[in-house]
Amino acid sequence: MVQKVEIEGFDAFIEQVDKFKPSGKPIFVLFSGSKDANGKSWCPDCVVAEPVVKGALDKAPDDAIFLYVGVGPRDFWKDRNNVFRTDARTKLKSVPTLMLFGGPQRLEEEQCAKADMVEMLFEDA
Amino acid sequence: MAPISSGASAADIVAQNIQENKVMMFSKSYCPFCLKVKDLFKSLNVAYTTLELDLMENGPEIQEALVEKSGLRTVPNVFVNGEHLGGADKVFETQKNGELMPLINKSDHNYDYDMIVIGGGSGGLAASKEAANLGAKVAVCDFVTPTPKGTTWGLGGTCVNVGCIPKKLMHQAAILGHELKDSREYGWATPESVSHDWSKMVEGIQNHIGSLNWGYRVALRDKKINYLNAYATFTDPHTLKTVDRRGKEKIITADKFVLATGGRPRYPDIPGVKEHCITSDDIFSLPYPPGKTLLVGASYIALECAGFLAGLGYDTTVMVRSILLRGFDQQIAERIGTYMEQNGVKFIRGAVPTSVEQIEEGSPGKYKVTAKTTDGEEITDEYNTIVMAIGRDPCTGGIGLDTINVELAKSGKVVVNSAEQSSIPHIYAVGDIIEGGLELTPVAIQAGKLLARRLYGNGTLLTDYVNVPTTVFTPLEYGSCGLSEEVAIEKYGEDDIEVYHSNYIPLEHTVPHRPENECYAKLICVKSLNEKVVGFHVLGPNAGEITQGFSIGLKLNATKADFDNLIGIHPTTAEVFTTLGVTKRSGKDVNAQGC
Repeated sequence: MVQKVEIEGFDAFIEQVDKFKPSGKPIFVLFSGSKDANGKSWCPDCVVAEPVVKGALDKAPDDAIFLYVGVGPRDFWKDRNNVFRTDARTKLKSVPTLMLFGGPQRLEEEQCAKADMVEMLFEDA
Repeated sequence: MAPISSGASAADIVAQNIQENKVMMFSKSYCPFCLKVKDLFKSLNVAYTTLELDLMENGPEIQEALVEKSGLRTVPNVFVNGEHLGGADKVFETQKNGELMPLINKSDHNYDYDMIVIGGGSGGLAASKEAANLGAKVAVCDFVTPTPKGTTWGLGGTCVNVGCIPKKLMHQAAILGHELKDSREYGWATPESVSHDWSKMVEGIQNHIGSLNWGYRVALRDKKINYLNAYATFTDPHTLKTVDRRGKEKIITADKFVLATGGRPRYPDIPGVKEHCITSDDIFSLPYPPGKTLLVGASYIALECAGFLAGLGYDTTVMVRSILLRGFDQQIAERIGTYMEQNGVKFIRGAVPTSVEQIEEGSPGKYKVTAKTTDGEEITDEYNTIVMAIGRDPCTGGIGLDTINVELAKSGKVVVNSAEQSSIPHIYAVGDIIEGGLELTPVAIQAGKLLARRLYGNGTLLTDYVNVPTTVFTPLEYGSCGLSEEVAIEKYGEDDIEVYHSNYIPLEHTVPHRPENECYAKLICVKSLNEKVVGFHVLGPNAGEITQGFSIGLKLNATKADFDNLIGIHPTTAEVFTTLGVTKRSGKDVNAQGC
């Protein structure tokens, strides 16, 4: 069963990655615009992608880790110099981005809402 | 349109036209919407048939019959493959949704796919993506048989994984090393001993390749192309047996096939070679630094690899049987050899290896290579890495082509006509495996794309294999387009050929005092054809960039006068081609002149 963790912000993301990395288990990460008090992300593509990605998690290896990472409020994300965009470990260009951490596999924006592409990524680990 | 007897009823005329014509359009000659739809079909190369109702005596009756048939009174009224499509709005809407071409090209067979492409390299991917764009149902089978050393790679073929991409990046790594030396003369306090980390370079390059492999898979998925990471073998002319890594078998069928299996390096038949030697299939992902390296062969692959290895600081030797760069302009080939020799590459000419023995295990290990010279003398030396680069063989064996009688040339390549069609009409081939073709990625891409357009887009354009520019990425790059001097002389006769040439020194080389006469430019012209340029050759930095631009001139039949009329960009190296004044025949000095 895939282990799911929901976190907010870059530091928490790195903390989780550092925690799971030594296990050698595949770490999948979905970066999304953070949710408001009502649990809704400011990013419409993220809203569409989330159920598709979560719905395809059964295609991922049983021992996989799935991190759902909120990249912050809209203003923070739109800053071209925010850490998610600049850090070599993430180098995000858009949200949502789904990636296999440490691998070349990544899907961006509307690709994350295509079940067959998401499944391909989960099956690739 | 078939002749329609005058006694036929309007309903019969409508029915007959719809049935007999793939794309049938009932139209009026003055109707602007009809014109728009006709223009659309023309732009899509779609053959269509029209009846202009306003020009027909029984037009009104036909229009009534159309109402009866389709519920539509207005024109245009379009039918595709016997089915009613609709008026202009419907046609444009269908086109906008990408559904028009699939509708028109709707298959009339019962196979699993319209097209199966065997081989996911540049040519195969281009053919499959274009065919899918045009509405065909496509599958791609790609399977990399591991090298004897166990190296394997992802989707994308030779160019991306073990060819153009990693070699250009390693070439760049070597150039940077050279420029670091230059940098001191430009004032940078670059330390004398700057070290290079092979593994770090390999990691960076392989990461890039990994992202390209992934990108291709995403693109195939996006276009609904079925990608099978499996080895395909023909069992009959329309059926493949595919076997994946886990040995799982699957049978798939198609109406048409594109062979795009590419080539793999050849090993000489001598003891120890497959156990101890590597090839270009291994070197770009070699996890450890190669150490003292021997490259066997005089192909561009051998010279390019030798060039970047020496540039990265490895002790590098090239063993050559006879001439360098067979098929390329020999004057330039020799100049490349000279330049490489002056820049640290050792050459053993007139020798072939006879055995390879391991002396020490390790990463890298140590090997003794024994070779025989043309004089019969035996020579031996020890190397850490031996790269075989004596040529490439097409991957046309072991895929059942013999069972279905696809004609192969003696070389093992597929015999095709100018439309890339093999001896079996529904089987086509593109890329490195076609007899008489060119082993270049952009050629394969063009051939694959145009083939798909001819098959599914009513295209007519054939791939033009003439005047294809190319570049050898040796330390000093060599770009060429058109004929070598040897071939030009053979074709037109020595008297009818005028060769204009010059050495040159890039401005950037002056400050760091690089040698003056290394770079070279040459135009080969035919006197009786108004000095039409039939060969373009440049040896120098960025030759690929220079050649790409000038090659359009050769495509457009440029003459020497056109080159002379062109105004240069100063200061560039390419501008030398606008001022070539010395003919080879004159024997005058071509040493580089100052500005």
